[in-house]
Amino acid sequence: MGYLLGVPLMALLAILQSTVFGTFRLLDGAPDLVLIAVVSWGQTGRTREAMVFALLGGLFLDLLSGAPFGLTAIGLILVAFLVSRLEGRFWEANFLLPLGIMVAASVIYHADLFLATAASGRPVDLDIAITRVFLPSAVLDVLLALPAAQLALRAHEALFPPQVKVG
Amino acid sequence: MNRPRSSALLALTLVLIAVGLLVLNLAGYLGPIQSLALRPFGAVQGWIYSRVAAVRSLLTAPGDVPALREENDRLRAQVSELEQEVIALREQASEADILAALLGYARGRPENRYLAVNVIGRDVSPFIRSIWIGRGSDAGLLRGMPVVTERGLVGRLAEVHATVARVQLITDPATEVNVQLQTSRSDGALRAQVNGELWVDLIDQTAEVPPGDLVLTSGLGGAYPSEVPVGQVLTVRQRDFDLFQQAVIQPSVDFENLDIVLVITNFQPLQLTPEVP
Repeated sequence: MGYLLGVPLMALLAILQSTVFGTFRLLDGAPDLVLIAVVSWGQTGRTREAMVFALLGGLFLDLLSGAPFGLTAIGLILVAFLVSRLEGRFWEANFLLPLGIMVAASVIYHADLFLATAASGRPVDLDIAITRVFLPSAVLDVLLALPAAQLALRAHEALFPPQVKVG
Repeated sequence: MNRPRSSALLALTLVLIAVGLLVLNLAGYLGPIQSLALRPFGAVQGWIYSRVAAVRSLLTAPGDVPALREENDRLRAQVSELEQEVIALREQASEADILAALLGYARGRPENRYLAVNVIGRDVSPFIRSIWIGRGSDAGLLRGMPVVTERGLVGRLAEVHATVARVQLITDPATEVNVQLQTSRSDGALRAQVNGELWVDLIDQTAEVPPGDLVLTSGLGGAYPSEVPVGQVLTVRQRDFDLFQQAVIQPSVDFENLDIVLVITNFQPLQLTPEVP
């Protein structure tokens, strides 16, 4: 069922990222809703679904971007895979650790976009990208990470309640 | 098969799917599918963006704030349907204001044919400065058509689908516009810097470039029509050992608050640079 929910959810988040959240900018950075959703869902332990969400969300974002189709998806899958490697190791140790993971995820995701943009021949500058895109985006993503993680946890509990033995 | 290995295999499979789609897209096979997928996306995008624009205009119109607060107090006592109605009416009034200004601009240039189109979204990549508009090839739009507002040049159509199109803004670093300075009539090339600043380069060293001078499109190269305002000179950088002088300009269009734009539909660009995605 999680996979089915992913299609409309990722489509909606991609559209919101292009419309509503595209106007909430800090320098050239904006909140990356799809990235936040993928990381948050991965943190609930549904890492395989998170990777499929990453592909779907990335393709939807690529539809709404001038970037080559498929490149955002690759970056998001990479992030989801890295989250899956850390599964169960840190999440319950300290509630601040997911924020650190979100910073790392945001930087990796934007580094992928930056490299893809540079490889396509567009003029880019790493120093400016770090100060105007990487850091502001990471700040905004981290601000939304905690509520998103809570929301993902609640959704996970509602959709996949833990099985208990009776008797 | 253990779980980490199975995750790695899944990730690899998904990456291969994405790479396959990337290759198919670069080969041009995904165009029709993208157009089809963008139909519902464009419709939802347009609906949401128009609501966002209405709320933004409600929050940012300083002259209206006292009246709006008063009106809001009255509306609080009423049912939520009436609040929705007020927002819808404000949206229409705001659109009417914009359309009236655009109409005035269009009347001043009768040689051009315009199509007014709503902005429906922004590029989701932070490294690409472009916007999405709610009309496409179904409405006769073609790649390369210039896009303006009543204030000046916005950009040109870089990607056209059946119902939506992407406008590459002049603030995108991959854009270059041939311009002319109004006072000296010197030619130059407008290039956006990666930090978002707009520079006019290749200005003749002997040209007088006063701050505040108007920058217009020159029409050279045939990519844009001539005499469209682009901005005003803020500062000039002139060094004796340089071949040319440069000017930083303030764009005449507010790119952060674009709601409706005009596409010049009868302008045939003479040449198009290969699309840089």
